[in-house]
Amino acid sequence: MKSIRLLLAFALIGLVASSLPAQAQQKKKSVLNLFCWSEYVPQEVIDGFTKETGIKVNVENYASNEQMLAKLNAGASKYDLVQPSEYTVEGLIKAGKLEELNLGNIPNFKNLDPKYTKMPHDPENKYSVPWMVGSVGIVVNTTKVKEPVKTYKEVFSGKYKKRIVILDDHREIVSWALNSIGIPANDITPENLEKAKAVLKDWLPQVKVYDSDSPKTALLNGDVDLGIVWSGEAALLYKKNKKYTYTLPEDGAHQFIDSLAIPKDAPHKESAEKFINYILQPEVSLKISKEFPYTNPNAEARKLLTKAQLDNPASYPPGEPKLDTFKDIGKASADIDKVILDLKGK
Amino acid sequence: MTPMLLWLVAFVVIPTGILLVYSFCQRDELGQIIYTFSWENYRRIFIDSDTGEFGTTYLTVFVRSVEYAGLTTVICVVMGYPVAWFIGRAPENRRNFLLMLVMIPFWTSFLVRTYAWITILSTEGLLNSFLQYTKLISEPFEMLYTPGAVIVGLVYSYLPFFILPVYGSVEKLDNSLVEAAFDLGAGPVRTFQRVILPLTRPGIMAGILLVFIPAIGMFAISELMGGNSQPTIGEVIQDQFLQARDWPFGAALGMTIVVLFAVAFSFTARQRDLT
Repeated sequence: MKSIRLLLAFALIGLVASSLPAQAQQKKKSVLNLFCWSEYVPQEVIDGFTKETGIKVNVENYASNEQMLAKLNAGASKYDLVQPSEYTVEGLIKAGKLEELNLGNIPNFKNLDPKYTKMPHDPENKYSVPWMVGSVGIVVNTTKVKEPVKTYKEVFSGKYKKRIVILDDHREIVSWALNSIGIPANDITPENLEKAKAVLKDWLPQVKVYDSDSPKTALLNGDVDLGIVWSGEAALLYKKNKKYTYTLPEDGAHQFIDSLAIPKDAPHKESAEKFINYILQPEVSLKISKEFPYTNPNAEARKLLTKAQLDNPASYPPGEPKLDTFKDIGKASADIDKVILDLKGK
Repeated sequence: MTPMLLWLVAFVVIPTGILLVYSFCQRDELGQIIYTFSWENYRRIFIDSDTGEFGTTYLTVFVRSVEYAGLTTVICVVMGYPVAWFIGRAPENRRNFLLMLVMIPFWTSFLVRTYAWITILSTEGLLNSFLQYTKLISEPFEMLYTPGAVIVGLVYSYLPFFILPVYGSVEKLDNSLVEAAFDLGAGPVRTFQRVILPLTRPGIMAGILLVFIPAIGMFAISELMGGNSQPTIGEVIQDQFLQARDWPFGAALGMTIVVLFAVAFSFTARQRDLT
C-alpha cells in the first residue's frame, strides 16, 4: 500500500518540479537545495554557510543511497547537491547524471588527504569531492562477550545466536559472506552469489535485529550483545561507554566514501560549489567530525582533532589499514535482494 | 456524482494505472524505467529464476502477512467491540470526551509511538525492569523483536480504526429494540445474537476492512518491532523501490495483491448477495 502512495508522491513531485524551472531561475543566486543523508550534516555548518555567503539552504534528507536514486530517477531536478557513496557516484557518472565540477572554484580541495582523492570511482575528482569516510566492522559489548571476535565467521560461529544486530543492507550482508570465504566483495556473479547464499543460510537465522538507521539502539537497550555496523555508529557507542569495542573484520573489511556531487541540470551550481569549498575549510570540517565521528578525509582538519577524537578506534582504526570500496553493480542489486529474501522469507 | 468520479480518477485510477504500466516495464542499471513490454516481473513472482520451477518465496511472505493481519483483526474485534459499545452507550455528554481519549494518541507521530513501544518492550526496558523489580520474574523476558511484538504494534496502531466505525453503529442503535427483545423473553445472549449483532454488523464489517487491509501492507512496524528478520509483503515491496532498484518488480507485486483482493472481495460480496 505504501508503495502506491510513494509512487503517487513521486509522480506529483515530478509534475511540480517540471512546472517550476522559471521560478527557480529567478532565485538562482541565493539558494542551495541540499539533498543529504539524515544525521550527517550538522545544523551549525548549514547556519555558518548561510551567514558567510548569504545563501539560504533548503535541506531534504534520505536514509540510503538507493532512496536518493529513487527520487532522482523520479525526475526531481530541483536538487543542487547530493551526498552519494562511492559506488553510487560511479553509477551516476556512468549514467551521465552528474555535473562536472570546476575545481578552480573549490580551492580548499587541496586540504584533502591525497589518500581519499582520485579514487577508482571518480579517478580525476571530476564529479565528486569526499565528505566523510567510514568502514563497516564488528562492535562488541565486552561486558557480555568476553572473548575477542575478529572475523565475520566468529560473529556467526553459533555462539551468539539471536544476540546479533546487523545492517539491513543487502549489498553489505552479501559482501561479508563473500569475504568470509575469500571472495572479493565486488565479484558479484551468479556462481559467487550461490556460494554466498550457502554461507548466509547458516548465518541469517542467528540474527536478531536488522537495522541500518540506528543499529546502536538495540545494543544500548541490551537486546543484543554484538553486531556488524557502520563505524560512525560504533564510534558513538564508544564515546558513550568504552565497553563497546570496534574491530575491522580480519576476513575482509571495506570502507565507504560518502561524497558531495552536483546532479545534472542543478539550478544553483555555483551555490553548490561554494558549499563544497566551505565545508573543506579545516575549522568547518572539524565541526562535522565533532558531531558525526566518522573518518575525516580532510588532512588539515585532522591536525585540529583532539587526542580523544583521534584515539576512538572506530573513527580512526589503528594502523590506518588500506580498505577496499564497493563498485557499482547495476542490475545485480536485484539478484542480491533475491538471495536475502529467499533466506529471510522462509 | 462528478466530484466522486474526479476523486476516483485522481486517487485510484491514475495511481493504479501508473502501477499497471510500470509492472510490465523493465529497468536500466540505475533503476530507471525502460518502457518495453515484458511479462518477466509477474513470472518472477511465481517462478524461481534460479531453478526455473514454481517458487514459494513470495507466496510464503504473503501468507505470513495475511496471518499477521488476520490475527490483528481478530484481537481488534475482541478488544474493540466492548469499548465501542461502552462509549456508544455512555451518557451523550460524555461520549465525545471518551472518543477523544481513543484518538489522542493519533496526535503524535506514528513513529514516535512505535519507538515508545520499543522502550517499553526491550530487554532492559520499562516492562522487564518493572517485572524484575517486583520479583515476578528473575530473568528478563524476550519481548521485542519477536512476532508477538509485531502483533502488539499492529493492534495498538489499528484498534481505533475498528472502534470508530463500530461506535457509529452502536450509537445509532435504537434502545427500544433491545428493550423489546428483553420484554419478549430473550436473554442477554440471545438479544446480543439476534438483535444487537445484526444491527451493528455494518460497523463491524467496515472496521474489519479498515484494520485488515492496511495491516497487510504495513511495513514500518514489522521492521522496527520485529527486527525485520521475517519480512512482510509490505517490506518486500518497499525493498524493491529503496534497495533493489527494481520499481517494475515492486509494481508487479503491488498489482498482484490488488488483483487478489479485488477477486476475494467480489467473491465475498456475491456470497452475501446469495444469502
